[in-house]
Amino acid sequence: MTMTQLPQDIKTGAMHESALLVKSRGVTKRFGGLLAVNNVDFDIPRGSIVSLIGPNGAGKTTFFNMITGFYTPTTGEISFDGIPIVQQRGKRVRSLKPHEVTALGIGRTFQNIRLFGTMSALDNVKVGINVHLKSHWWDSVIRTPGMLREERATVQECMKLLELVDLDNRAETWARNLPYGDQRRLEIARALATRPKLLLLDEPTAGMNSSETREMTSFIRRLRAELGLTVLLIEHDMRVVMNISDRVTVLDHGEVIAEGAPADVRADARVIEAYLGRGAAAEH
Amino acid sequence: MTAATDTATTDEIGSGIGGWLGYVGHTLGSMPGQYRVGLRQHRRRTIGLTILFVAIVLYPAVGHYVLADFSRNVIPIPFPDDTVSTFMAIFAIMAIGLNIVAGFAGLLDLGYVAFYAIGAYTAAFLASPHFGALGINLVFLGNVGPGAAGIHLPYWIIMIVAVVVVATFGALLGAPTLRLRGDYLAIVTLGFGEIVPLFFRNLSSVTFSLTLGPIVINIANANWTGGAQGINPIDPPFIPILNWVFDARSGPAAVYLGLFLLGVAILVARNLERSRIGRAWGALREDETAAEMMGVNTVRTKLLAFALGASFAGVAGSFQASYLGASTSDFFDFSISILVLIMVILGGIGNIWGAVLGAFALTYVDKTLLPYIGQRIGDIAPSLPNPAEYNFLIYGVILVLMMRFRPQGFLPSRQREAELSVHGLQEAEQEMGIEAEVDNISVAPPGQSEVGPGARDVEVPGEGRDL
Amino acid sequence: MDALIQVLIIGLANGLIFALVALGYTLVYGIIELINFAHGDVFMLGSMLAYFLIAPTSAGAWGIFPITADTPLPLKIGQILIVLAICMVTMATLNATIERVAYRPLRNAPKLAPLISAIGMSYVLQNIGLVWGGAYQRTIDSVFPSTNLLEPLGITTIAVTPAQVFVGAVTIPLLIALSWFVSRTRQGKAMRATAQDPDTAGLMGVDVNRTIAITFLIGGGLAGAAGVAQLLYNNYTQYQLGFRFGLNSFTAAVLGGIGNLQGAVLGALIIGEVNALSDYYLSPNWTQAIVFGVLIGILVFRPTGLLGQQLADRA
Repeated sequence: MTMTQLPQDIKTGAMHESALLVKSRGVTKRFGGLLAVNNVDFDIPRGSIVSLIGPNGAGKTTFFNMITGFYTPTTGEISFDGIPIVQQRGKRVRSLKPHEVTALGIGRTFQNIRLFGTMSALDNVKVGINVHLKSHWWDSVIRTPGMLREERATVQECMKLLELVDLDNRAETWARNLPYGDQRRLEIARALATRPKLLLLDEPTAGMNSSETREMTSFIRRLRAELGLTVLLIEHDMRVVMNISDRVTVLDHGEVIAEGAPADVRADARVIEAYLGRGAAAEH
Repeated sequence: MTAATDTATTDEIGSGIGGWLGYVGHTLGSMPGQYRVGLRQHRRRTIGLTILFVAIVLYPAVGHYVLADFSRNVIPIPFPDDTVSTFMAIFAIMAIGLNIVAGFAGLLDLGYVAFYAIGAYTAAFLASPHFGALGINLVFLGNVGPGAAGIHLPYWIIMIVAVVVVATFGALLGAPTLRLRGDYLAIVTLGFGEIVPLFFRNLSSVTFSLTLGPIVINIANANWTGGAQGINPIDPPFIPILNWVFDARSGPAAVYLGLFLLGVAILVARNLERSRIGRAWGALREDETAAEMMGVNTVRTKLLAFALGASFAGVAGSFQASYLGASTSDFFDFSISILVLIMVILGGIGNIWGAVLGAFALTYVDKTLLPYIGQRIGDIAPSLPNPAEYNFLIYGVILVLMMRFRPQGFLPSRQREAELSVHGLQEAEQEMGIEAEVDNISVAPPGQSEVGPGARDVEVPGEGRDL
Repeated sequence: MDALIQVLIIGLANGLIFALVALGYTLVYGIIELINFAHGDVFMLGSMLAYFLIAPTSAGAWGIFPITADTPLPLKIGQILIVLAICMVTMATLNATIERVAYRPLRNAPKLAPLISAIGMSYVLQNIGLVWGGAYQRTIDSVFPSTNLLEPLGITTIAVTPAQVFVGAVTIPLLIALSWFVSRTRQGKAMRATAQDPDTAGLMGVDVNRTIAITFLIGGGLAGAAGVAQLLYNNYTQYQLGFRFGLNSFTAAVLGGIGNLQGAVLGALIIGEVNALSDYYLSPNWTQAIVFGVLIGILVFRPTGLLGQQLADRA
């Protein structure tokens, strides 16, 4: 699905409400004296792959953290699938807690891999499913039939996810003993276990060579095609961004300086200046 | 019981009570078959474990009737007597509980003795003449004649009450620590571990009066908790029709009761470990921030760790008080918190069997071996210091040395064989996994999180494992 | 009212002693983020060493520098100074040795390993005190006359004793010296740099290991001085002293803002008063619980303390 196919208001060109999975308005984040994100309006259409790019320190990860509830914005509102995640009343801003946001259907990976090192790959993925399980601790203690059935179904679902990322034969290996590429894929499997509608990938191709990058790119496309996911990427590799994105948003110093189709954004003078400095005319 | 049994070789797991009974029946029924498989595949290990199991089952009786005399008159190795053996079980139960808090969930609790004390005093309140002096009398299924002063309930009710009370306190005392880092969390728990026994000691003579309109409260010199003199006698656990009593004079009977409770404790802990909450604890311990982001409700997970972990101490404490027949505040001080911590560390933090073994070993050393050595030294050279009196000097050195050379304890902290058999993986991979875990413990925490400080604008979230 | 003021004066004197010990906690925490559990016991051993130096051989001590109320003043002062010097140097060395043996090898270990090691070390030191001094209190006769220095001013209902002045005379110069050292000398600057960011400090040429060792030396020296002051002011020592003083001093350090030197002193004075007030108006039985309550309260509600972090701003 490309941008031109999504329902648009003919007059204003704005996205129809229900087509937006994420809607954020006026989001600002201040850390003491540092203004990390400044009055950002940002939408993610349902079923799209959107890339968030910008030089280092532009505020991309901070924005991720606000969508997922880890940081509370200083001002602004964010809603997900029609449900408010961040609400502002007057000066008070209230945000859902991260685990509540995850329960709503947002999964994420991390820039520096944060797997549970001394747990097996399978257990890592199982943790992702926890939020959707119904067993209580007392069910676990006496091993009720319901709990056992749920555990069995959990193993099946998690093994399927491991197969999806090609790690089913390493299910029992400790996460920290896996090679780097496997760890990255495991993180994605774990995020998928949370049954997300929106998947946030923070630099998924960092540290990869070009063939691994190609694999990851087609894998992300498969996620959208087969699982119906909406994907938001933070990426530095411009080939990936150009290749895969329906839409690109560029942040610099916490502000949106450009937004649109990949080709348009790439040619935007402000974007080139932000990345390469004034006077640079060369293509990235 | 392995995970293979959990996931059931039957395709249908029935629902409701019938289904549960069917599951239990199937599990028990498959044990002979599993034993035969174990005999074929891991012959030496299965036989070794069998011998160990038989030895443990026989030990209390054999030890009481045979070995005690042996050790006094024939072999110069001191065998633990019944009281020490019972305390081995008691401390093992506590070690398992602390292992849940510190080993599974990674929360260093230095005030575990508080829960032990609360459990003990629950038994003391509910099975002694103590409250008779305050005018409260209630006898219900107790082992005393009618009209006895004070409250007298049977042990199994006391245990349930103790578990509930202690679990509640566990959550209460854990709640203030929710946003704290590892070392601050430890200090706050230490504080509670000191304050609770202090209350038990000081509330032996309560005097105050309060007049609020029509409400007048006048308490003069009321002995609420028995203070340093304590509360006694406390009714021992008993079985009515058979007239079996499990107190300090009943020989091996109490040891068997203790081992039975220990068995239940091990089962409960194992079931918790291999379940949704167990995985949540693991994630919490490994990386609290990542766990929260993956949907784990870290607040609830931590409170459950404190509450459930504490409840083991509740069982241990109530059993100890009922067994000894008395409870004084002198029993409960900071050194017991540390003693249990050493047991968990020695055995291997995170490993249930490690905690049990550590508890057995340290209780034996502390209550039998060191006094024995002290006696022998006293016979030979009375002027030399008695190691039993300086036991914490030894334990302190052990702590320093363990942290320096073997912080993972003597049993590796994870055994994954049970879950491996579900997927039929090769031994080789398992070997690799386990070896890696033993060597790599002293690794620095994962790299600095890009997620940064200021989660919810409060304390810095943990960046990785603390322990 | 007079009783209250008297209580406050008593609290002040103990508070100054707490301050010396609290500085040890806050310096170490500021520089390596470790709660040095064993620090209170170093203080106790300082006090024990002072006892054995001062008390007569008839009491089982060494009696090398016997001081009684009757010792002529110049000799008294001289001997006190020598005892101070010996105790400060010994405890400084002990503290630095403990760092070398029990904490430095664990610098890259999981965060709680050094804490557990510190707990172990605390028990070792306590037991050394137990072997050395026995299980019971060891007392000395008052070294200072119990005159009321306020009498010449016509005040009889409130007393300030020479012993209290002595405590001030020992502690205040040390506090000033430490403050000067940390803010004016190169080594002090190195300490502050290491507390902020040890890796960068190392890259800038600071010998991190040596700096940490010096921090422990200073902390130990202060604890030794506090031990002497404790003995000569309260006239007793015992192997369990470290726990009580350690709790009070550590709470003081946290109250003032861990890592913050002025905060440690301020916190200590407050905790000294809390102790005195609780002992007098409630009962010594409850004082420990109250101090623990203060500690828990700060950690939960205001972990940065009254004056906030200063020495180390590490997030």
